[in-house]
Order: sequence, then C-alpha cells, then structure tokens
Amino acid sequence: MTFSKDSTQDRSAFAQTGDARGVARVSRETINAIAVAVICIALLLGARFINPALGSWSQVETVLVLGSFLVVLSFGQGLVILTGGLDLSLPAVITLGGIMATNWIGMTDPTAWYLLPVVLLACAGVGLVSAIGIVWLRVPPFIMTLAMSIIVLSALLGYTRGSPRGGSPDAATALMKSSVLGLPSVIVFVIGFVIVGWLFQSRSVAGRYLYAIGTNLDAARIAGVPVVLMQMVPYVISAVCAGIVGIMLVGYSNGATLRMGDDYLLPSIAAVVIGGSSILGGRGTFLGTVGGALLLTTLGTIISAIGLQIGLRTIIEGLIVLTALLLLREELFQKLGSLWR
Amino acid sequence: MESEAPAEAGQQDAVGHHALEVSGVSKAYGPTVALEHADLSLQAGRVLALLGENGAGKSTLVRILSGVVSPDTGEMMVHAAPYKPRSITEARGSQVATAFQELSLVPNLSVAQNLLLPRLAKSTLGLVSRRQVLTRGEEILSRHGLSRIDPDLEVSQLPLSDRQRIEIARAIENAGRVLILDEPTAALAETDWIFEQIIKARQRGVAILYISHRLAEVREICTSATVLRNGRSIATVGLEQATDGDIFEMMVGHRVDTTRQVAPKSARDPKPRVQVSDLQGEALNGVSFEINQGEVLGVAALEGQGQRALFRCLAGLTAAQGGTVQIDGKIAGYRSPRQAMHFASGVSYLPEERKTEGILTGLTAATNIVLPFLPRIAKMGFISARSEEATARRAAETVEMDKRYLSFDIADLSGGNQQKALMGRTLASGAQTLLLFDPTRGVDVGTKESIYTAIRQFAEAGGSVLFYSSELPEIVQLADRCLVLYDGRIAREFSGDDIAEHRLIAAMVGHSETEAA
Repeated sequence: MTFSKDSTQDRSAFAQTGDARGVARVSRETINAIAVAVICIALLLGARFINPALGSWSQVETVLVLGSFLVVLSFGQGLVILTGGLDLSLPAVITLGGIMATNWIGMTDPTAWYLLPVVLLACAGVGLVSAIGIVWLRVPPFIMTLAMSIIVLSALLGYTRGSPRGGSPDAATALMKSSVLGLPSVIVFVIGFVIVGWLFQSRSVAGRYLYAIGTNLDAARIAGVPVVLMQMVPYVISAVCAGIVGIMLVGYSNGATLRMGDDYLLPSIAAVVIGGSSILGGRGTFLGTVGGALLLTTLGTIISAIGLQIGLRTIIEGLIVLTALLLLREELFQKLGSLWR
Repeated sequence: MESEAPAEAGQQDAVGHHALEVSGVSKAYGPTVALEHADLSLQAGRVLALLGENGAGKSTLVRILSGVVSPDTGEMMVHAAPYKPRSITEARGSQVATAFQELSLVPNLSVAQNLLLPRLAKSTLGLVSRRQVLTRGEEILSRHGLSRIDPDLEVSQLPLSDRQRIEIARAIENAGRVLILDEPTAALAETDWIFEQIIKARQRGVAILYISHRLAEVREICTSATVLRNGRSIATVGLEQATDGDIFEMMVGHRVDTTRQVAPKSARDPKPRVQVSDLQGEALNGVSFEINQGEVLGVAALEGQGQRALFRCLAGLTAAQGGTVQIDGKIAGYRSPRQAMHFASGVSYLPEERKTEGILTGLTAATNIVLPFLPRIAKMGFISARSEEATARRAAETVEMDKRYLSFDIADLSGGNQQKALMGRTLASGAQTLLLFDPTRGVDVGTKESIYTAIRQFAEAGGSVLFYSSELPEIVQLADRCLVLYDGRIAREFSGDDIAEHRLIAAMVGHSETEAA
C-alpha cells in the first residue's frame, strides 16, 4: 500500500499519545445553579447600600418565608415543564386550596387538621382532570390547564358568592406563624420539601422517567417508560403543590380571597426558567429552580423596600423571564431546529 | 471508472486538479476535541473515500466541510480560493453540497419543495408558485432517475430509503464542485442507483467525498481513501494496493480478524420461545414462524416488505390486525414496549431510527443504558449514582464500549457509540427475546465485531434473537436460520449452510420458485 505522506512517524507518535481527546465536563445546570446562588447573595448584600435595614438576618428570614410559597409551587410547575408541558391552572388551584381551607375547615372546625389532606385530594383531582385531558384527549397543555383554571375559579365564585369567609385552620397558622429551634417552622418545612423534591426529581426512578419523556417521548416509550402514567403524574403533583401553597397563604394572611393565586403564575414559570431548566422540557434541576425562586423573591423584597410599585415589579419579572430565555437561546433554537427537521 | 485513467493526463485541469484542499483542520467542543488534525485533498472528477471508526471524527469533518460548524484551526481551499463557509447556504454558494446521514429534509413539505429549498420558484406576484415548484421538482427527480417519486408527496410519507435518495439528489443538484456523501447507502438496500449518480457527477468534474462503512462498496466506487483515527488523518491510501486487513488496521490501530465464523450449530433441543402464527397488519399479510431458545433468526428483505411492521408489532408498538403471537406458550397481549419487556421471559426491541426512537439526548449515556430496567437497580424507588454507573458499565462491556463515554451526554457521542449504548441497553434489559432492527447500522468494522460477539453470546446463553439487517453478509455470518420477507409474507426460509448471499438475493427479489428448483 502507498501512503501519501510520511505516515510512519505520525503513527508512532500517535501510538504514544493514544486518544488524547478530552473528557471532563461540568454540567450546564451546575454552573447555572451556582450563578443563581451567587447573584442571590450579591443582591442581598448589595441591598445594604440602598437601605441599611436590608441584608440583615431578619431580612434573609423574610425572603425565605416569602420564597417558601414560590419554592413549593415551582416544584410542581418544574415537573410539568420538565415533561414539555405547562400548568396555567396554578392560581386557580391555589385559590381552591385556600378557599377550601377557610370556607370549609375554617368555618366548621379549625382544629380539624386531618381535613387538610382532603383539601389536597380535591386539588389533586383538578390536576388529574387536566392530565386526562392532556394525555388521553391530547388537548394542548396550556389550553387544558387554562380551561380548568376558568372552571375552578368560576365554581369557587359560585360557592363563595363572591366573598370568601372563615379564618385559617389551626394547622396552617401553626405552620406559618410558629417557630422551631429559633427558625420559623415554614423554613424547616421548606428545607424538608426541597430535600424530598430534589430526591424525587434527580434520584428517583419516576424522576428519570420524567426527564426521558421530556427529551424524547417516542424513544422513552420504546425504552419501556410508562409514558401515559408518567405524563399525567406531574399535573397531579403540580396541583397538590398549588393546594399546599393555598393552605400556606391562608395560614400566612389568615384568610382567602378569590384572587389570592394571581400573582404566582408568572413567577412559578420564571423560577423554573431562571433555574436553568429548558422551557421545552427534558432539562433542569429542582435545586436550580429553588435558586430561581429565591432570586425572584429577593428581587421582589428589594423592589418593594425601595418603594417601587407592584406593577413595576411584574414588569421586571417579565423582563427577567425574557432575559433568561434569551440566554438559553442557543439551546432553544437547537431544539426548535430538531423539531423542525 | 477505470476508463477515465487515460484521459487524465490530457485534461489536467478538468480531472485531477485540486478541487478541495483541507489542511490541519481541528475542532473542539468545549474540552472535547472531536477533530485534532485533519488533512484531505479532493480532486475534480475523482471519488475519495473517508474511512474511520465511529468517533474518529468523520462526522465532525463533514460538518466542517458543509459549513455546519467552523473549524478552530486549519485552512480550506476550494478551487484554489479560500473556503470558510459559515452556513450550509454559504457552502452551497461555493458549490459544495452535502447529503447528510441524518437527513436534512423538512418532513412536512413536499418532495419538490424540499428539492428546491431555499429558493422556491416565484410566480409573477412574487409568491411561491406551486405549479412551477412541481415542474422544477419533477425535472430534478427525472434528472436523477427518480421520476417514479411523486414530487407533490409530503416527504414524511416516503419510506426512509426514498427520503435518503431525495437528500442525495438535492445535494448533487447543488454540488457544482464538491459533493459530500455521508453514509449515502445507510438506508439503501442496493447501490446501483447511487453509483450511477456518482458516475454522472464525476463526469461533470465534481470532486466527491464518499463516507461509508461498507468497504466492498467503497472499493467499487472509490480509487483512494483517507483514513481518520482518533481525530487525526492517518494516511491516504490507494485502494487497489491496500488489502482490507491493511485498511482495518489503519482504522482501528490493530489487526481485525475478518474471517467468517460459521454460526455454531450445537445440537440444541429446539424449544420454541416465540411462535408467530398468521400475523396480519399494516404491510403484513399473514406471517408465521417460530424462534427457538438459543436461536438467532435473521430477516432479509428489500426495503418496505413488511419488516418494519413485523418488528414494531412484536415490540408492542403497533397492534396486530389478526393472528397471534405466543411467547413461552402464552398468547401475547401486550400493548406497549414496557408490557412486552415484562411479558413472560421478556421481549426487548432495538429500534430502527437511532436518532428519533433510540437515544435520549440531554441524558448521559449511562442513564440511556439503564433506563429500561431502572426499577431493577433502584432501592425503594431511588437510584444511587454508583449503582447506575456500575450497571451501565457492565452493559457497556458486553458491547466493548469505552466506559469513559458513559458520563457524556449521549448526543455528544458518535453514531457508532450511540448504537453501542443502545445495543448494550437491549442486551442488558434481561429480556430473553431480542428484536434487533439493523443492529449495526452506520457502525464501523470494530464495533460490528463486538456487536456480533455479544449477540452470539446472548444466544449461546439460551436467548432468542430476531434481527433484520440491510447487509446480507451480516445475516450470512450471524443467523442460524433466515426468513426472507417479500410483500408482507415469508417468501423463503433458509437454514444453516443454505444461507448464502446469492440465494437470499434471489428470494428477496421474489424469484423464490426458480431458486427452489
């Protein structure tokens, strides 16, 4: 055989080095989670320059308490987004949880803590109906959840005749107002929630299935993933999370309103996206989402401390989501490109 | 091809002058160096083969040449002018066009629209004129011997083989100077059409880079070959002087034993594991056969003879319209791959389309491998990273996949390593019946050998294998018995030494009666 150039030298040199091409990779999620945490801390510390009262430990506590709602809520939203869906019914389900807690438990027997799971079961039912519509009847997720949202809110409007009554169940008040080991109980609760949520999403069989479904539904089905069941699960979990948030909000403000969930829809999506998840599914971690939720809450506290209006706060949140999406653009376009092909 | 040799001296600038010069090109994705140093020289009117194992950097080089990615270092010249394409369209502007292995057609547009993209014919109003698009699409099709394809058909309606032909025809249409064919025969059962097109393009003075794993095919159409190994171009050899052994050695760095092993014919008790009787369905017109324990049953067929439907039906992806399937004597009523995996002794399926049905991009190779049997390695529903990795490593060993790839996103692996991962996954699933649809598609020699060995070992341990292959030598080498499908029926069945390429081909084209005589 003939070689076009002096290859023997090439080859012996090559034999020594072997395949020298690199291996190490740091996952994008890790970088993102660290970045979010750093920004979060920087914001808190930086806020001192604006107002010396900010950045103190009590301020951190406030952020954690206020952020707890969003952390719980965006866990469910994150799972739904992970499988490539979107849950727009969260505000309605929050309200459902809140109003059942006040108008039903609060009005009949505030000490009946054992009724709270029933409230969550009702919320799960709403999620299940959405899931059935999306997975079996193939209604696009945003339409199905939006429709459920309208149905639930209208039913609640009818049920309360426009004015919810009743106070917080004792258990909810205890969760939001008492403290354990010098920390507000809700912070302890949320730490536990984060650990369980992280284990579920990153370490459990079900969590892996959700990632698989979000990346490639057909391949997941062939790989033996129970795709029908696992596409439905996130909507149910998401509704339960929203129910928990409803109860927490009731405990926090000792009452429910028909619009109590409205402020949480965009932040729940924003937290997930800022946390490094792909809005198209298949990528992201819950810890990233937690960082996103805390970052948003920190921003919100600073904005209200500075005295900006609530409208501005919403605008800023919207801008953050857009920026996060733009930063993830490369990946977004790749995914769109592969869908197109 | 050889007929052109005398003309060469006289037409120095038409045939034989440098059409594409590549020197010292490299590309890294983050810390992963995909291509370390590649030199390549294409001459007008000649066909150069690009050979290399999976992961050698062939695909990266193709992407650089086609303008999909820009190289980090190195120079490229087309017809002595610097060539730095930043997109496929720019590459086309320099008259360099590529037929990609992972086809780049838009599925929901018509054949004609795909052929003309990105410049669709305009009507007087400046809008796209449907009629003109159709006429021009028809012209292109007939120019490339494809007039049997309806230019108005949506591409997604075409079988994979025709989609590949369209992809190739479009590339040839745009390749005035350089044509790159990446695994052009991966989905084609015969090479007559493609070779005819290549010869026509050569006569126009187009330089062609031909990438294929099928060495026989490469020898037929190419005169020389450049070999890539581990991201470097090792050598360029004249194919007439080099033996297969020489070439394999350059590709893998050591000699490969290419002698055919005859499938072992130990006297097993034929205990049936799978019994299929009168299976009816989309593209299936009553198929009956049995697979015994410890048996490797091959399926040979031309494209679109029902093999896809057969495999998808047995895998639980589509429901049969009639007939029964029994596994271990139990009538199979499973309706999803998941149920199939857990039915009786289990059925596991290696899908046809690696990219859309096989790999889960964004997840690591290890997760991809263990996904089907996650519950088995989980404790109380949770998985430890260690047990996941250990299980994946064992599966990777059975197919001789390098374990350092396990922690990579599977999308970053080469096609061959992806295939190894999927094959390892199928073998490790624990199912006793494997359905392998073209298990070595787009895979190099070294990988093929390890996949064959793994399949044989699986069968020797009592497992049953049904496999379809578009490469007949593979069936000859691997199968204990072979079914030939034709028009949704079993045309012939061969066993043992009767499995020979010429007999299979005769049966595949429907000449079973004459052959039987």
